[in-house]
Amino acid sequence: MKRPPVLMRLRIREKERGFGLWLPLFLLLPLLLLLLIVLSPLIVIAIVILRRRRRLDRLSPTARASIDILCSPRGIRATFGVLCSTPGLHIEVRNNEERVYVSVI
Amino acid sequence: MSENQKKILEMLANKKISVDEAYRLLSALKSEAPAPPDSTAGPQTTAKPKAKYLHVHVHGRGRKDDEHDQHDEDAEDDEEDDEDDDEDDDEDDDEDDERAEVVNIRVPVSLIRSGMKFSSLLPAEARDKVTSALSEKGVNLDMRNMKPEDVEELIAALGDLEVNVVSDKEVVRVFAE
Repeated sequence: MKRPPVLMRLRIREKERGFGLWLPLFLLLPLLLLLLIVLSPLIVIAIVILRRRRRLDRLSPTARASIDILCSPRGIRATFGVLCSTPGLHIEVRNNEERVYVSVI
Repeated sequence: MSENQKKILEMLANKKISVDEAYRLLSALKSEAPAPPDSTAGPQTTAKPKAKYLHVHVHGRGRKDDEHDQHDEDAEDDEEDDEDDDEDDDEDDDEDDERAEVVNIRVPVSLIRSGMKFSSLLPAEARDKVTSALSEKGVNLDMRNMKPEDVEELIAALGDLEVNVVSDKEVVRVFAE
């Protein structure tokens, strides 16, 4: 069963300075969802205006793809699928002095 | 001779790959080839467990794998505060003074699957750019022709993947488990 990530661990160390963070994604994701729901009418209005003024085609492919992803059920499903697949992701890059560590749980 | 075998031999002829690599690729193809039809053969009983993670390890040559694995475990399981962690790291650094950069990535296979599905949402221009960029690197993967079955086949084949590249300065390991 797919479940969204619960925690993200982030640690960055630079010479003698460094910090570590536990990001509680289970708290942040509902807030993000809420923000998206609140902003969605504005996004729809922006798209309608752009279409009427025939400026949608002038947007860059990246911007158009972002709109497609945000505004289509298929795109939302795919985004959620990617998000739910991230638990277990582990990235670590380090040398003698610096270290970047990201882990999704 | 299959199409893939021809490609491998062409790459060898063009000196894109070494003899060893060609041999390894041909062996892998041979093992992947379907068994001849046999009426007595039942369903496949020795199915390999599906790979869950794709690992990419890059580290300085001469570094012991045990140390590396131990460090991974420490990194994953350690839930102590960061000060303790930093102390551990300092100890590791002392042990490997001449260590080059270390890159250690573990990607869930499900993320690869989702990412490949996600790529179908890319606009045609972006897909063309990706395809041309890949072909410049010698990877002939046309994203426009990718089907869900192809993605599944690719992911199933990941289970057998094991790449070891050893050079004077670095050791690169890519494997699935």
